[in-house]
Amino acid sequence: MPSSTSSPLSSSERALEVHHLSGPSDSPIIFDIDLFVARGEKLLVLGPIQSGKSMLMRHLVGLECASTGTIAVDGHAFDPTKPDEKALRTLRARVGVLFEGSALLRRISVLENVELPLLEHQHSSRARARDAARELLAEVGIEVDDRTMPVEVGRAGQRRVALARALALRPRLLLLDEPTLGLDSQAAHDFDETLHALQTKYDFGIVIFSHEIRHAYAPANEIDVLAGGRIVARGTRESLLQSDDPVIHGLLHRRERE
Amino acid sequence: MSVPVQRGEVGSRPSRGAFLTGEWSARHPAGLRPGGRFLSRGRVAVGALHWLGWIIISPRSVVSGGVTRELETLGVGALRLVGSASILVGLIATFQVAYQLKQYGAESVSALAIGWFGTREVGPLVVALLVVTRSASAIAGEFAAMTSNGEIDALRAMSLDPVKYLVAPKLAAMCIALPALTIIADGLITLGGWVGTTFFLGFNSRYYLEQIRTSLAASDLAIGVAKSFFFAFVIAIIASDEGLGVDRRVAAIGEAASRAVVYCLLGVLAADTLINAIFYFIPALVL
Repeated sequence: MPSSTSSPLSSSERALEVHHLSGPSDSPIIFDIDLFVARGEKLLVLGPIQSGKSMLMRHLVGLECASTGTIAVDGHAFDPTKPDEKALRTLRARVGVLFEGSALLRRISVLENVELPLLEHQHSSRARARDAARELLAEVGIEVDDRTMPVEVGRAGQRRVALARALALRPRLLLLDEPTLGLDSQAAHDFDETLHALQTKYDFGIVIFSHEIRHAYAPANEIDVLAGGRIVARGTRESLLQSDDPVIHGLLHRRERE
Repeated sequence: MSVPVQRGEVGSRPSRGAFLTGEWSARHPAGLRPGGRFLSRGRVAVGALHWLGWIIISPRSVVSGGVTRELETLGVGALRLVGSASILVGLIATFQVAYQLKQYGAESVSALAIGWFGTREVGPLVVALLVVTRSASAIAGEFAAMTSNGEIDALRAMSLDPVKYLVAPKLAAMCIALPALTIIADGLITLGGWVGTTFFLGFNSRYYLEQIRTSLAASDLAIGVAKSFFFAFVIAIIASDEGLGVDRRVAAIGEAASRAVVYCLLGVLAADTLINAIFYFIPALVL
């Protein structure tokens, strides 16, 4: 178990700060998690399948009730053990989420998918929301007409649309669950580049939850290794490569074996 | 997803007072226990009614756009089924009523019973049962698939209430479609009765129409349409609740659809029994 890291950053620079997070409250799957991400930084939470990555992400956006711990996003503290209406809205307005498989609403158009958070949270007019949605889609490299449905843009396109939707409210923190799973290597590389360009432009923090080892070889400020619902190692790729721990060794050296 | 999902996990932890985020309408694990199902239905019903009022006040809102789409699916899509079934029901009713009345030599008044009973009871009930078989499983299956695909979680993660964006448009569409289909069914049951009475029982059309005119009052039609509003509410809420309250197993989609049909059928029959009992025990309500 790595020692708990204390963040030297000022609260305004912290995109995410998590202390001793365990949950869900009724049957815990993650235990004593500490995370720190500054704005403009990228954290990779790497772990094998069923290690608790998705559950951890669900806690960070208030979809699960934690048993212990504290979460602060962009300097605003949030009690994950007793989430209330106001705190949830504040949290979710600051956090963009890209779920595994995109999770776009399939019965409405691509543009309507991106418009939804704008209409709900910014009370924009339909025309303004549509213009903003078009801009967002252009930024992620998608061009569609009013009637284009999610199924028509393909898997890689859906990821980009989901990215545009996650960025609609200009979040301070972006959570991505297996963002390039199922994409071919070129599409995955292009997605990473788009993400990097958008992070440089808007200066948000990124947390990627994945079991794909390829993320460890992309630029990331820090890698946290999750196994059995606990962070078992934390560091840069170089430092983790030297670890003797069988879990870490198995994860990081898989690419070489493959 | 990389985490094993346990039963009742999705949408299972409503937060305290989280009205605007939709958390309050998410099904609690208690929803899977006896009695909890009623609480769960109640939460969805209260939320759907709240947002239904909002749709009525703001007919140009983004949610209202979904009502047109749902109306197409739930209403227009059911026209052929309801139309053909209603004519057959009219014919069946004619033969059945005429057969019973024949024993008393009163076959000639069968049109009276068809007009009165058809609009008050058979029309709304047949339409509701047809819509249950056609749409309840579709609604529950759609919501269960959305849960399985993470779409419901995605809505909640953006503080968008699934009841507002998914259930309320379906409830609004159902409240428009079912009474409209009931009125159409009333007409087609009468048409089926005319076919049976004139072509098979040998009475002339003028006699049949005269009998229908004598037996049928506007209040009969109004009571039938009022019943269909209750049925629409029951179907929309139960089917939606069954769809939203599932876990993320693929098999849960089929299970939710089956449960929705069963509970909607029971719900419609229970509502009809209650309404009829009220009319029976409080005769003043019978117009």
